[in-house]
Amino acid sequence: MKKKLNEKFIESLEELAKQGFENAAEGFSGMLGMTLAVYEPTVSLIPLQDIPHALGGPEIDAVGIYLQVAGEISGHVLLIIPLNKAFEMVDLLLNEKVGTTKKLGTLERSALAEVGNLTGSFFLNALSDQTGLSSRPSPPAMMVDMVGAILDVITSLAGAMGDEVLMFQATFIIGDRELNTDFWVIPDATTLNKLTSEISGNHTE
Amino acid sequence: MSDISVGLGEIKISNDPGDVLIGFGLGSCIGVGMYDPIARIAGMLHAVLPVVSDNKTPSPKYTDSGVQMLLEQLLEAGALRSRIIVKMAGGANMLSSPGLSSTFDIGTRNVDSAYDTLKKLKLKISSESVGGQIGRTVRLYISDGRMTIRIMGGKERAI
Repeated sequence: MKKKLNEKFIESLEELAKQGFENAAEGFSGMLGMTLAVYEPTVSLIPLQDIPHALGGPEIDAVGIYLQVAGEISGHVLLIIPLNKAFEMVDLLLNEKVGTTKKLGTLERSALAEVGNLTGSFFLNALSDQTGLSSRPSPPAMMVDMVGAILDVITSLAGAMGDEVLMFQATFIIGDRELNTDFWVIPDATTLNKLTSEISGNHTE
Repeated sequence: MSDISVGLGEIKISNDPGDVLIGFGLGSCIGVGMYDPIARIAGMLHAVLPVVSDNKTPSPKYTDSGVQMLLEQLLEAGALRSRIIVKMAGGANMLSSPGLSSTFDIGTRNVDSAYDTLKKLKLKISSESVGGQIGRTVRLYISDGRMTIRIMGGKERAI
């Protein structure tokens, strides 16, 4: 199944995703206790080969928090943070001086997993609110590894669908502190169909 | 000496002893290296999915068709089948959380697919570093056919 994604559709998805990201940032801000901005929310078709070059390249150490989404909206949510930024985030979460966290133990991991859980759920809630479609995220799964290896989760899923993947993506920024958290959402093909009819339905109203 | 990156779903071949073929940050993907020590020619495959389905075109994106294509390209470039040494790395299962669907044994399925295909082609694996839950950067040195892996925070080591 090959779907032509016209610009208008992408724009509508972008609007949908933008509210999702903003809602996610709100959840994120609430958790960190400081305002978080969403930078460059985009919806784009990315060639499979370009995926591992996110976040400075496939060999960068990073933390990935993955949620599998089931329900009327199904797909995959992956929050990916460079390791040094993840340390900073843990410091903020645990109210420590920045530079305190140097490795990820059980506590640190669960704090980060919670970040993924919360942002993912907030994103999905916004999407459900706008479309009336239900979604149910799995518990968060954590990965601490090289960017390329973490993103293989996405490439293997996307690769099975085609040579390009439709991705909602945004970066979160805290004040002058750029947390460089990439937020990837990959809807399943069936969900894309539903979103398409939802969007075109809205247009005729 | 030049580093040649082998991207997702690619095959790279070289006979320049100064070259190193590199698959960066392989998770569930698999890196298969083949080397002819006499002709000093080697190639690496970086495959994403285990098997090419019936309605898809065979390509290096899939382990089964990729391994076959790697062999063909090496032979075409002057390698001799009887001299070929096979090494492979990757095929990790990055996600092993309870409650997630089995979609994620993709690493294991990539490894199994490589085993099957190599068996069909009557090629033996001389060394490997596969599976587990850890990403690997895989290097294949054309000068001596050495394959090395590096994991996060670790040093490069030969397999």
